[in-house]
Amino acid sequence: MSILSNILKKKQKKRQNDNFRQMQDPGKPDELPIHRDYKDNIARIKEEYGNSTDISYREFKFCGSRGIAVYIDGLASNTLISDFFMETVTEEVREMVTDSFQQMIDFTAGLGNVESITNWNEVHDAILVGNTVFFLDGFQKALSVETKGWEKRAISEPSTQLSIQGPKDSFTETLRTNTAQIRRRIKSPNLWIESMKLGTVTQTDIAIMYIKGIANEKIIGEVKERLNRINIDGVQASGFLEQLFEDQTWTPFPTTHHSERPDVITSHLLEGRIALVVDGTPFVVTVPALFIQFFQAPDDYYARFDISTSIRLLRILAFFIALIGPAAYIAGTTFHQEMIPTTMAIAIAAQRENVPFPAFFEALIMEVTFEILREAGLRLPRAVGQAVSIVGALVIGQAAVQAGFVSPVMVIVVSITAIANFSTPVFTMAIAARLIRFIMMGLATILGFYGIMLGIMFMTIHLCSLRSFGVPYMMPIAPFNIRNQQDVFIRFPIWAMKNRPMFISKGNVVRTGENQKPGPPKQDEDQSSQGDS
Amino acid sequence: MKRYLLLTIYVFFLLPSLTACWNQKELTDLAFVMAIGIDKGKNQKFDVSWQLVNPGNVSSGQTGGGQGLPIAVYKSSGDTITEAARRATKKISRRLYYAHTNLVVISEGVAKTDLLDIVDALDRDPEFRTTTEMVIARGTSAENLVSALTNLDKLPVSKITKEIKSTQNMLGENMSVNVDDFISGIISSGKEPILNGYLLMGKKEQAQKAENLQSTKSDAYLEANGLAIFKNGKLKGWIENNNARGAIWILNKVKSTDINVEWNGKKDAISMASIRTKTKVSVNFKNGKPVIHIRIEDEGWISEANTAIDLTNPKVIEKLDKLVEKEIKRQIVNAVKAAQKKKSDIFGFGERVHRADPKLWNKLKRNWNEQFARLEVNVEVDSYIRREGIRTIPFWSTMNK
Repeated sequence: MSILSNILKKKQKKRQNDNFRQMQDPGKPDELPIHRDYKDNIARIKEEYGNSTDISYREFKFCGSRGIAVYIDGLASNTLISDFFMETVTEEVREMVTDSFQQMIDFTAGLGNVESITNWNEVHDAILVGNTVFFLDGFQKALSVETKGWEKRAISEPSTQLSIQGPKDSFTETLRTNTAQIRRRIKSPNLWIESMKLGTVTQTDIAIMYIKGIANEKIIGEVKERLNRINIDGVQASGFLEQLFEDQTWTPFPTTHHSERPDVITSHLLEGRIALVVDGTPFVVTVPALFIQFFQAPDDYYARFDISTSIRLLRILAFFIALIGPAAYIAGTTFHQEMIPTTMAIAIAAQRENVPFPAFFEALIMEVTFEILREAGLRLPRAVGQAVSIVGALVIGQAAVQAGFVSPVMVIVVSITAIANFSTPVFTMAIAARLIRFIMMGLATILGFYGIMLGIMFMTIHLCSLRSFGVPYMMPIAPFNIRNQQDVFIRFPIWAMKNRPMFISKGNVVRTGENQKPGPPKQDEDQSSQGDS
Repeated sequence: MKRYLLLTIYVFFLLPSLTACWNQKELTDLAFVMAIGIDKGKNQKFDVSWQLVNPGNVSSGQTGGGQGLPIAVYKSSGDTITEAARRATKKISRRLYYAHTNLVVISEGVAKTDLLDIVDALDRDPEFRTTTEMVIARGTSAENLVSALTNLDKLPVSKITKEIKSTQNMLGENMSVNVDDFISGIISSGKEPILNGYLLMGKKEQAQKAENLQSTKSDAYLEANGLAIFKNGKLKGWIENNNARGAIWILNKVKSTDINVEWNGKKDAISMASIRTKTKVSVNFKNGKPVIHIRIEDEGWISEANTAIDLTNPKVIEKLDKLVEKEIKRQIVNAVKAAQKKKSDIFGFGERVHRADPKLWNKLKRNWNEQFARLEVNVEVDSYIRREGIRTIPFWSTMNK
């Protein structure tokens, strides 16, 4: 009992701590008005930012009154501000006697968006996003001028989600650049962008994008509600966001989709999904995400339908190989030797003759070694990574086999599994298969193929129980929907993909016009159209 | 979560109902039985020889490298097959595993007396496959046959099973018969089973030694030879060569073969190779007695012409067709006669009669084999020569002699 009460007490204490923290929260509205004396203002800023060295102050004289410009070095464009002082705050202006605040507004309009602000809260907001705040002596208000101009990465080729025929641009870390890339592809006033800030400390900008009239209003509402519920100090990347507002935490399967390709996000938006752009992440999140979506690569839509259908089927097959490859090997060699063709069974038996481990440990050792290699290859600097992969390949492929620790079949199984795993277009789904593979291996060791079937059964049940923003995860396979089969296992020709996915775009589901099937013009149709004109 | 838990428990409770082949066994703990040889025992009913594969010596992988012999043969005896198998564990370090057994060899002695006592063991075991080939060791013991080494196929078993299939396709004097076929032949009242005979030729004592594989001409080798005829589950006799081919032809299992005919007084001057052949067996009734009609449609090509002959002349081809038909008919009739002599209906004529007139069959079936011996059989052959190979006029025709 005492332990329990202790824990309870601790919890209470923690809650109190939380309350304290919230009181200290810098994000809390600070409605204090701006001081009349500009020096007091400077003192306050210096105090609040702890004399941070990246804050620049520029004193000037304007229309008879003294003033100061405050901005963050690096966030605001230095050249822009310098040019402004060079050109406008000239000798004659300094001596002009007029309403200096109004004059200031007129002059600064040339710099960018000008806003008159009155309280400290607004001052902080302005400075922290890269604006310049002008304080003028004798005024209880200030000017916030848009001077954003920080160093940003240029748009480059996508590095994780590659395509052969598709566009070669990808998102960057800057929110505006990203929304612009999407806006450039959807030239419609119906593409709506709503902004909000997340992270009580980081104040990360987030843009919610959707196409009005296509996206389901209910889901938009749900997304906003879930975003509003988030109360956390920082959202450093879109991965945080995904984990904070997904439907189910206890699943290895991703219920949100992300992409670094604007073309992918564009097509998602056209299907009625909602995109979330997080400032500072080159990955845009879309919801709702369905299981089959993770097997749709951008190239599926750029290539002819027959080719992309076969490739997609191949990809699904590869997913299953990645899932049960080593498990099937274990089950086959330790339970169901009768299922292996005689010559193959003898060949495997010959290779396993001198291997000291049972099949399960052999498979586990190899799989874990491979996972370590992969992880190491990912983390190591590029130059060293090359060396590691060579050493790894030699160690696994050659030395381990020659030493008789592992059978060559096992190397083949592990390699096929690993390669198959890489063919899943979205990393989050591929990694789910990687994890479940180990569970399957365990089941295969205890129960053979029956265990694998059991595992697949559980996985299917689990998948069917998942939802992404209210939409069943296995849609349109389970629940089955005949109209939505156009983009599941078989990718229909583009002209035959008539409908948007159900539930995701409510109401407005028709994508194509009538008679879209291409072909040479029919003779009589031609004549009638000529007659009309 | 609670529902998940309940589901998990439910599924695991279902587990015991699915315990057919659950037990785990590592590959390296298994002894793959490739062939079983069954002989008459001295003290006990059966002597069983187990041909086990030595995987390391068969596979030519990096780790294998086959220095030793591909197979090892152990022998044990018992009054039943199971007893012999259990006794064998005293001599074999690994668990006998039958799922890859491809051959059952039975000695003539067992075939003549106790064959029926081993069939159920093969049929009942869940590991053992009834698609396993069954042969009879002719003129030697099953043990010798199972112990023989072969040079083209490392595994003697695959030599035998592949050989039977290939000779069935190319010559048609033997046909693949597995345990299942044999059992269905035993239980049918209108059909008797056949089995392939196998000979061990040459110096028999050399067959088990590695030196046998060291020369291009093996001192001892295995050869398919003849068809064993059974009656009431006991070996009654053998039919061979052309008769065997005739029997298999009636069973519609011949795919391709060769027929030699006489031309211009020269014996075996023309050789025709069948490429497609089809047999239809039907039953008529004459005076309340069944009459069997065998109709064979055969197509082939001239594979040899060892005499001056004008193969461009349709009349000549027509004449050849007739000769071939006559020869095929002769072989078929001889096969029927041979079987009738043994009073064993290996062709399944009884089943045909049963299907055609079930009431009459009820009367006939009691002593069907006697009826079979006196059965009237009509044979009708339609043969066509479709091609002459890549030469029409043989060199004999243009030879200036």
